[in-house]
Amino acid sequence: MGDPILLIDRIGVRFGDFQALSDLSLSVEPHAIHSLIGPNGAGKTTLFNALTGVRRPTSGIVLFDGRDVTRIAAHTRVHYGMSRSFQVTALFAELTVEENLRLAVQARYSREGWVFWRSPARRTDIAEEVHQLAAEVGLAERSTARVEDLSHGGQRSLEIGMALAGRPKMVFLDEPLAGMGIDDVHRTKELIRSLRSRMAVLLIEHNMGVVLDISDRITVMAAGRKIAEGSPAEIRQDPIVRSAYLGSAA
Amino acid sequence: MEARMFPNATTFVVLVLLLGLPFVVPTTLAIQIAAFALGTLSVSVLLGGVGLLSFGQGLYLGVGAYGAGILLRDFQLGLLPSLAAAAVLGGFVACAVGSLIVRRQGVYFVMLTLAFAQMGYFAMLAFKRFTGGENGLTGVPRLLSLFGYAIDDARTMYCLAAGIFFCVFLLTQRLLASPFGSVLASIKQNEARSEALGYAVGLYKTAAFAFAGAIAGLAGGLHVLSLGFVSPNNIELEMSQRLLVMGIIGGVSSPAGALAGAIFYEAVAETLSLIWPRWLALIALLLVAIVLFVPGGLWSLGARLTDLARRRKHG
Repeated sequence: MGDPILLIDRIGVRFGDFQALSDLSLSVEPHAIHSLIGPNGAGKTTLFNALTGVRRPTSGIVLFDGRDVTRIAAHTRVHYGMSRSFQVTALFAELTVEENLRLAVQARYSREGWVFWRSPARRTDIAEEVHQLAAEVGLAERSTARVEDLSHGGQRSLEIGMALAGRPKMVFLDEPLAGMGIDDVHRTKELIRSLRSRMAVLLIEHNMGVVLDISDRITVMAAGRKIAEGSPAEIRQDPIVRSAYLGSAA
Repeated sequence: MEARMFPNATTFVVLVLLLGLPFVVPTTLAIQIAAFALGTLSVSVLLGGVGLLSFGQGLYLGVGAYGAGILLRDFQLGLLPSLAAAAVLGGFVACAVGSLIVRRQGVYFVMLTLAFAQMGYFAMLAFKRFTGGENGLTGVPRLLSLFGYAIDDARTMYCLAAGIFFCVFLLTQRLLASPFGSVLASIKQNEARSEALGYAVGLYKTAAFAFAGAIAGLAGGLHVLSLGFVSPNNIELEMSQRLLVMGIIGGVSSPAGALAGAIFYEAVAETLSLIWPRWLALIALLLVAIVLFVPGGLWSLGARLTDLARRRKHG
């Protein structure tokens, strides 16, 4: 194994008196699917926000691709190759699927957004890429629909498409399967598995079947701390995890 | 969002309105409408394009008006350079203010635009030597020419004002239907998501604010040219408020709403002021009615009617 793509060294996040995350260290290998599991309130989304620049950690360091990104603005991280999806669907609801994806692809060309003298349609290369992305996340037939008219599962798929549009080196997926129907879950699981050839994935997910199936490594969190880490097989056997989280489901 | 295509039916309707206006209302009123429509355009670009509510566009209009007035009177600068300077000044001040305040959200942003507008008014009073203070800036030359054509009566002045409005309107339509405009629209819908996609939201908002400031500055310059003096109420809060009211009455979903709002406001004011000196109260009532019953403004009403007619024809 080479150098990790993401290295987190003892980061902490504090909201007033509440220590949401304490001394958490983690490393993610390139082209690995690394999952975060733990009960609600364990600090998984807080960790995501600290890693993607939404909330600055109160202590610790985040290294991405060998670069210290602890204090880098969220929009700059995207250009370094970090991209995220949101737990609560956060799309441009009144725009079409196509336009959402186009905005996400366009963001990668940092100068394109400043072009004010011609139509966006003139960039056929961007349009072509949007087309491919829509097909990849299973939305090719709905590309001219407004996002607010999509099913919940469709919106979750688009959310992943938006994160992939940045051609990231690493993608952060926050509960991508939540609220999806059974067909969508299967397709999305295969999509995430296929991402491994192109990028590293940090995944927050409650669907244990999927997590145990596709992860290379799993970190278990509880009350803002890491309580266990290992391969899916090791996690399945871990007595602490079994009692604290997996219960009889495992 | 209707501004996806350029030029479109809206472009044509605006052109027809501008050509027909001087045949329907007195020419002096038509000039005033064109100048105010331009000022209102700065409100609708911000509110309709990026979702920024500015209560202080009068500041940039005032800066443009005083700038152009001083250049015309004391430096004998020509018509076009003075107007260009008014736009640059408005844009420059808005860029400076914008870079300070665009990070603030919602009510805080609105309060800051208001505070800066108020500061502008007091600055005008403080620099009485240059601005004439409460007496206004008088003695601005009125004999002007453009490429050899004399701009010396109401008719030629209207051609100038309407021409400038139409050019800026075209530029605004183009801009809103461009990749830049699409980023602004995304910020309006979901700012956090735009940022997460990699757009430098603060810079985009500042650029839009500066663009709107330049439009307001140009409107101020036009106002001076048509009146021959700068009245202090160009930079008063009431001006900011009036631009906002015109913008909301007309509707901000299309830049054409600025023209609709200015025509309606000025026409109603002209008619009502003859009947009742407290006509502003009626404007307030009309504003309430529009916000309650036609939330998209007058322009959206037109679009809705054509939509209905089309459906009736097909159904």
